[in-house]
Amino acid sequence: MDNVIPAVKAKHLSVKCGDFSLKNINLSVMQNEIFAILGKTGSGKTVFLECLAGFYLNLGGEMQLFGNNAAGIALEDRSVGFVYQDYGLFPHLNVFKNIAYGLKMHHVPKAEIKQKVKTMAEMLSISHILSCYPATLSGGEKQRTALARALIMQPKLLLLDEPFSALDPSTKNNMYNELLRLHKKFGCTTIFVTHDFKEAQSLAGRIGILLDGKLTAVVKSDELFSENMNYTSEICNFLGIS
Amino acid sequence: MNLNNLKNIVLRSIAKAFPYFSIAILIISAAFSGIIVFTIVAEGIPHLKEALHSEEVLFSLRTSLFTTSISTIICLLIAIPSAYALARTKFPFCRIISLIVELPLSLPNLVLGLSLLLIFSSNAGKLLRDMGFRVIFDIRGIIVAQVAVILPFVTKLIKTEFSSIDIRMEFIAGTLGASKCMQFLTISLPLSTNAIISAAILAWSRALGEFGAALMLVGVTRMKTETLPSSIYLGISTGSNETAMATAVILLTVSCCSFVATNLLNKKSLSRSEVR
Repeated sequence: MDNVIPAVKAKHLSVKCGDFSLKNINLSVMQNEIFAILGKTGSGKTVFLECLAGFYLNLGGEMQLFGNNAAGIALEDRSVGFVYQDYGLFPHLNVFKNIAYGLKMHHVPKAEIKQKVKTMAEMLSISHILSCYPATLSGGEKQRTALARALIMQPKLLLLDEPFSALDPSTKNNMYNELLRLHKKFGCTTIFVTHDFKEAQSLAGRIGILLDGKLTAVVKSDELFSENMNYTSEICNFLGIS
Repeated sequence: MNLNNLKNIVLRSIAKAFPYFSIAILIISAAFSGIIVFTIVAEGIPHLKEALHSEEVLFSLRTSLFTTSISTIICLLIAIPSAYALARTKFPFCRIISLIVELPLSLPNLVLGLSLLLIFSSNAGKLLRDMGFRVIFDIRGIIVAQVAVILPFVTKLIKTEFSSIDIRMEFIAGTLGASKCMQFLTISLPLSTNAIISAAILAWSRALGEFGAALMLVGVTRMKTETLPSSIYLGISTGSNETAMATAVILLTVSCCSFVATNLLNKKSLSRSEVR
């Protein structure tokens, strides 16, 4: 019965952010789903993720998280994990303290924090860098640290902003498998943003196409380039199909 | 050789010469400051021993160090939360309040002092005095004058630092369960520590040299409201130029120590970010 309630339900969602606005977004993402948002740079992908996470307070329309009105839920109570494109690691904390941060905010005992961080670090193969600071890490290491920090809180919703864009192809492929493995293990609803079609099709079950602040289409990933999709010319231009 | 080629040659020469030109300007600027400092040192050093044995000079040194330290602490306690509010929160008339907070920066210290004198001479000021909080012609007045002078400066510096911190850091901390207060204490404040310490040291130096506002509010009374700057003023006005210059050397030395501390702090911060 719980699976019927979508993880995210946006109804006429809109937000104004400086000169840019998200307009009339209608979307349902089911629990445990991996959903990709495709769009050009500047189309509002990051803004949309930030809306889901609670960054913006002046939202138009309605948004529900796991059946509850999101407007009434404080940022720290949304059980959302967020990873930015540039990872957003706290520069003044080492890898251990970055990963442990959320647990510390929830007053988890020190011994338990140590154990959980150790387990998560082993899972993501970053045990060897726990005492290092973010400025000395490679892109892949930062990626894994940011993921570890988000996942250790066992969020119900994981939001990833172009998580693999800064990685080399080989590391990217490894991280794709890693994300699928972690999704299977933790079972959290995952919404990630990308401008890479192949990435979206490999990882997601469904793909939303966001263009100029509007969600123009939601399709199954294997139907993205299907011939009988009746796309608008705008979407065809974006996908590079005639 | 046509005009275009000539123009390119001239522009390239100017571009090449610019680093040397800027060094030359720097040397002239340093020479200007250097002459001023050298004059103080040259005139003051021969009489330094005598000044250091003078009861009045030692009193003024103790008063300066005490009032400056207290006023800096008070400023930090007010400036840090104020700067955070200005940098991070949106509330009605925020821009107007920001302007009001920074406006005293553009006023001469004498005018600030005069304004404080009028405030503390009013009925409210008299009420405070009757309750035991004396300001006019009192050492507390020096602290009030120093706070009035340095508070806008400290607030502006710290606000600039808070504004430069990526707000997404606090947002991520929030998604991990940190309340607004914990976001400030665990993210914004630690990331601003070096800047806050630098602001404190600069504010301390500025308060040390403060004279105009204190002169208006507390006057200059030997062994009562005498700070290092007012001791110099008294020395000059009574014809004791030598003692005045010697006191200036003491002031210069104390200021110098604070600048060295700031530079060491900045170097440490730079090396840490490079290593990490």
